[in-house]
Amino acid sequence: MSLLTVSNLAKRYDSGGKPFAAVDDLSFEINPAETLALAGPSGSGKSTIARLVLRLIQPDAGRIDFEGSDFLALTGAALRARRARLQMVFQDPLAAFNPRATVARVLDDPLRIHGIASRAERPRRVAALLERVGLNAGLAARAIHEISGGQRQRVAIARAIATKPSLIVLDEAVSALDVSVRGQILELLIDLQRQERIAYLFISHDLGVIRAVAHRVVLLDAGRIAESGDARAVIANPQSAIGKALVAAAPRLTRNRP
Amino acid sequence: MTALLSIRDLKVAYRRDGVAVQALKGVGLDVEAGERLAFIGESGSGKSTLALAVAGLLAKTVEIGGTIDWSIAKSQPSHSFAPPSVLPDISPTRGEIEPSSPPSPISNVAGGDPTAELLISPQLGEMSGRTEGGAVERQPSRPRDTIPRLGRDIGFVFQDPSSSLDPVMQVGKQIAEVIRTHLDVSWKDAYTRAKTLLERVRLPDPDSALHAYPHQLSGGQKQRVAIAAAIAAAPKLLIADEATSALDTIVQAEIVALIRRLVAEDGMTLIVISHDIALAATLADRIAVLRHGELLELGENQQIIEAPRHAYTRSLLDAHLGLDAKPMLDRQGASE
Repeated sequence: MSLLTVSNLAKRYDSGGKPFAAVDDLSFEINPAETLALAGPSGSGKSTIARLVLRLIQPDAGRIDFEGSDFLALTGAALRARRARLQMVFQDPLAAFNPRATVARVLDDPLRIHGIASRAERPRRVAALLERVGLNAGLAARAIHEISGGQRQRVAIARAIATKPSLIVLDEAVSALDVSVRGQILELLIDLQRQERIAYLFISHDLGVIRAVAHRVVLLDAGRIAESGDARAVIANPQSAIGKALVAAAPRLTRNRP
Repeated sequence: MTALLSIRDLKVAYRRDGVAVQALKGVGLDVEAGERLAFIGESGSGKSTLALAVAGLLAKTVEIGGTIDWSIAKSQPSHSFAPPSVLPDISPTRGEIEPSSPPSPISNVAGGDPTAELLISPQLGEMSGRTEGGAVERQPSRPRDTIPRLGRDIGFVFQDPSSSLDPVMQVGKQIAEVIRTHLDVSWKDAYTRAKTLLERVRLPDPDSALHAYPHQLSGGQKQRVAIAAAIAAAPKLLIADEATSALDTIVQAEIVALIRRLVAEDGMTLIVISHDIALAATLADRIAVLRHGELLELGENQQIIEAPRHAYTRSLLDAHLGLDAKPMLDRQGASE
């Protein structure tokens, strides 16, 4: 059974007085431990879909089933409990954290709020989370603004996995990173997926990255699905106009590989 | 090839909490007139500092050592005119700019002949007579008469067009203002040229775009406006600092094509700053690799991409995830 099922989702915004369909009758599913990528040009609805799935905004129509229940109907304690299973990592971790907080505080919060560990136990859990994402436990005392961008994104991932989620929404989560750091973060994400069976909704404008890490891809155009399927097959042979345009626009490094 | 600028032992240090942080540690190279040169590197490599130093945009509190010499011949006769390749359709106004100026030694550079001498010389004289008046504060290490002017001699395109455009000014006025600042033309002519520029950067419906505010334009359209403003005074050198990094892939490819076309048409020298080696390779003829404020290697595209000398360059190439790279899911063995 699929982990997340999105059915006929729609979201309209008002643009200068006239309605504009950011997401239009959209349906897709994600299986456990699967990476589904959403790709498309600016304004295709990628980030709106991320916010809808996270219930940060309300859809105008449609249904979202997560872990077998109607996610949009959940309220109160049931919603809070289910939200622990659905986490997020955004492009800019500095904007996602209180910049004056320490790394320890950032990771302590979800453990406390979701009642995952007792006060006495939490420092040990924080250290374990840091080690899980490849950071030294000594980093816990550092302020968020003092650490590097790559370290911050690892902390964001540590915070996301603190509540043992089954799905993480990654919205351009590696787009702002240096290429060398990006590779390490992608490897960490793949490793976590294998170990913890976490599924990813992987939002990116970069087909090269998608091809490297995603199982399936959904190509979006103006809030609708232009095409979808096996990531490598779609990118190797796109059928839709937007798919062809995205593939043609990807910067190519022409060199003779060893 | 003649060097447009010679950078020698360039050192830049920022002060942070009283401690000097070396952003550039003695970089030296020549930028050839008419070439397209990319500086690539990761965060902290000093690539943007280098661009700002060339443009004279570093704050006065920044410590700078070394030299940036422009091969702008001081002895050239002083004359001024609108380069015809930019505004071929309004040549009658040329005489109004500076009636006493001698006739142009080269009457037609339109068509973008790539000969460096031809490309650079029509504009040489424009500098010498125009270094006064409105010139921005410069780093003191440069002799006054060889100081290039940002906007006039150097066009700069930044990553975020929203922050380089005035949000409460119509874009036509913003471009016309650049033209008025650097060229001696009337507002009416400046607007005519602004419209021509908006056509050149392929903005749909340039007439209404003249009166649009930045927020009414998409990110890609705003970057086109920023490029129009950058080339409005026909600079010799165009610097694009991560100019396409905030744009989606399709728009990025369009802006790359636009910059290539404008640089070829106007015979500009191009400096590209990018973290993306593949993007750099599509825009530039030569690539300079920077790391931690040092120039690791500099070579023709083909050499850098196919036979990098430095291990770091190789690691950057390996980290590039192109559409032909081996998927990471496979590398670790367990694809579904």
